[in-house]
Amino acid sequence: MAQHFDPRNAPFDRLNENEMAVVRDSLDIAYYRPNETIIARESAPGSLFVVIKGAVEERDGDDLVALRGPGDMFDSRALVQGRSSSAFVAREETLCNLLPREVTLRLINANPRFASFFYLDIAHKLDTVSSEEEGARFTPLLGARVGELFLHPAIFVDATETIAEAGALMREHKAYALFVADADGVGIVTRSDLLNATLCHHCPPDSAVGPLAHRPVIGVAPDDLVTTALLRMTKHNKRRLAVGADGQFVGVLEDIDLLSFLAGNSQLVAGRIDRSRGVANLARAAQGIEPQIRLLRRQGVKVDLVCEIVSDLDRRLHHKLFELVAPQSIREAGCLVVMGSEGRGEQTFRTDQDNGLILAAPVPEEDLVKFRADVFDALAKCGFPPCPGGVMVRNPVWSKTLDDYRDDFRRWLALSDETGTMNIAIFYDAEASAGDAGLLRAAKQELIDLMHGERLRLARFARAIDAFPTPIGFFNKLVTSKAEGDAVDLKKGGIFPIVHGVRALALEKGLHETGTTARIAKLADLRLFDGQFARELTQALHYLMTLRLDAQIAEQASTSLVKPNKLSTMERDLLRDAFHVVKRLREMLRRHFNLAMF
Amino acid sequence: MLLGLKRRLLLHLLRDPSYRFLFEPPPPGEAVSIDCETTGLNTRKDDIVAVAAVRISGNRILTSERFEATVKPSVKLNPDAIKVHRLREQDVADGRPIEAVLPDLLRFIGARPLVGFYLEFDVAMLNRHVRRMLGIALPNPQIEVSGTYYDRKYGDAPPGVEVDLRFMSILEDLRLPALAQHDAYSDALMTAMMYLKLEDLKARGVRLPRARAKPVAWYGGG
Repeated sequence: MAQHFDPRNAPFDRLNENEMAVVRDSLDIAYYRPNETIIARESAPGSLFVVIKGAVEERDGDDLVALRGPGDMFDSRALVQGRSSSAFVAREETLCNLLPREVTLRLINANPRFASFFYLDIAHKLDTVSSEEEGARFTPLLGARVGELFLHPAIFVDATETIAEAGALMREHKAYALFVADADGVGIVTRSDLLNATLCHHCPPDSAVGPLAHRPVIGVAPDDLVTTALLRMTKHNKRRLAVGADGQFVGVLEDIDLLSFLAGNSQLVAGRIDRSRGVANLARAAQGIEPQIRLLRRQGVKVDLVCEIVSDLDRRLHHKLFELVAPQSIREAGCLVVMGSEGRGEQTFRTDQDNGLILAAPVPEEDLVKFRADVFDALAKCGFPPCPGGVMVRNPVWSKTLDDYRDDFRRWLALSDETGTMNIAIFYDAEASAGDAGLLRAAKQELIDLMHGERLRLARFARAIDAFPTPIGFFNKLVTSKAEGDAVDLKKGGIFPIVHGVRALALEKGLHETGTTARIAKLADLRLFDGQFARELTQALHYLMTLRLDAQIAEQASTSLVKPNKLSTMERDLLRDAFHVVKRLREMLRRHFNLAMF
Repeated sequence: MLLGLKRRLLLHLLRDPSYRFLFEPPPPGEAVSIDCETTGLNTRKDDIVAVAAVRISGNRILTSERFEATVKPSVKLNPDAIKVHRLREQDVADGRPIEAVLPDLLRFIGARPLVGFYLEFDVAMLNRHVRRMLGIALPNPQIEVSGTYYDRKYGDAPPGVEVDLRFMSILEDLRLPALAQHDAYSDALMTAMMYLKLEDLKARGVRLPRARAKPVAWYGGG
């Protein structure tokens, strides 16, 4: 019963019912007269403000920065940071909802989707920080050390050198700041200092650079936490910090590098993987992958893009690993493949080792034995747990010659039991990550040819879609499992039937695509799905994956269980819609493969 | 002087000394906006079915500390009234009797001034029960928002100006958001918003503009 507050407004639409009730019970309303200051500059606001009626100006000194109207909120940054860098002033008579700071922060901590809105909002404003202890809770990334960030080299100039010389030095090193040394110690001079001096104060270019230097130099130590650097930048209103210890400066940290680090710079991780010189090195680089997932997601990046980025990083990792551990014989004759969700490019949180080796011809046994063990150990060091089903290079079943695989395919098909079906599914999703990709292509073509036109085999393969029921009951109710704490299993109920159903159709049509989304698009081209259904199917899959990813981020574990009573109304509706799409796909597949007959 | 006398007289009449807080000085800058939904408009026969109150402190409406209660009335619901407040017999059946609601409400209000729209009616409805319980009527000062509005809008108007003091007209004229009407809490909340805005206009000496009289008919004739 709080009609003055619209719960459909972002980010409040991401709250579940309980969280919404907390919001409703903590809201107050305040009235401001024209020109009344709502948040003073440099003050700590006690609430998050949401405009009900009226208009609020955000002012930086005398400058108008932005105008907020009904439904807009302010000021997320001041709230998280505990200090406002702008003033907020009512332009006209204004009513606002006030949500207490403690409540807002509690929601940010409890609900990652709610938090992502704030992070995005804050990131937009190009500087983000939270008080030290909150920062540590928000993201483990803030636990990184300054020394891990990209630093510009420390360049020194003598105080007696001229402005022109300093400018030339900056250009040469693409630097924005120089250290200026004289008898008093070290100061810092920036590009804008030089510009100001020459353009505004008419200093001749041959005057000494010394008097322009700032002192004391605001700095951080390489061992300092990233949070410390952020706080220091904000506190001193600096765009760069000197990095050094005991008076020895080793570099300059620019705000843009700090922010790109926080904003999830996956190229950074990619670069580290590519540059790795040994397994230990690679394992350290691999640790950077998981924080990227959290960050990307917190920034509201869509799940398919998150998957794409993570898959790319994982492929690079496998590629590098192959380079590092494969002996000459295997490098020449082998193809390292990743399978299952990794092959489809749909895995986010680290899953088991799902990989194999295809050889063009037999290699010396000792090479193979060593390689099997090395790959396994290296991946374990990189954080991939062993595959319980043994689908990994270490297992001789999954590291052998193409001819041996061919024999396997026939055996799997002949037996067509559960293991056979699973193995076909896993292998069909394989993607080459290193070595001769032609080997994998040949193997897959063999598999496709074996299945071509085999209605019965295809039907047996497709039948797995009915392994788990769709969790939609009478009256459109989501069916939860008591054993799993009133949760819905997104994987069994939705993700698996879509992935497997699409896989069965793709195999029938002999597609070489591996990603489910790509397969759906190709099947739509072949007129197996109409365009509308293909879109719905893709959306449903992405939505289920999004929910699963958010649950995994919240639980810090690889789970696929979601509790409907923890979702917002909108999320529950979307979940139901997604399951309905799954139902329709199942019906379509039953007809298509005549499953009722087998 | 006179007020002091009256206060002492009322205190003397007060049956239950635990309600002396009604006569203590109220917290500065605070008021309570109140609204009742009733079975009908007859203050003698009809009864309260819902009551809501919201505290106002300075420029804030403390919706986080609102008071809301559904009351089980002693009389049957009047079908016309049901259409207004949409509380049916079955909705009020779960309510508490007014005797149970009133002590909580009085403690919520304390000695704060009451703010309302057509407050006279709500207070009369409440007083029937307050009198029975305490021997006195509510001693709280009363602020009628339509009165404050009249001063801002029509206080300097020449005689003969058409006066519109309907709830929705005031709300619209003050450019306040319209919430679902005839729900006790929403009504109390909208009234609180009117109060804050009108108090501000009063403090700043701002008057509400009246629509200009339309050009008179004969003007264009000749």
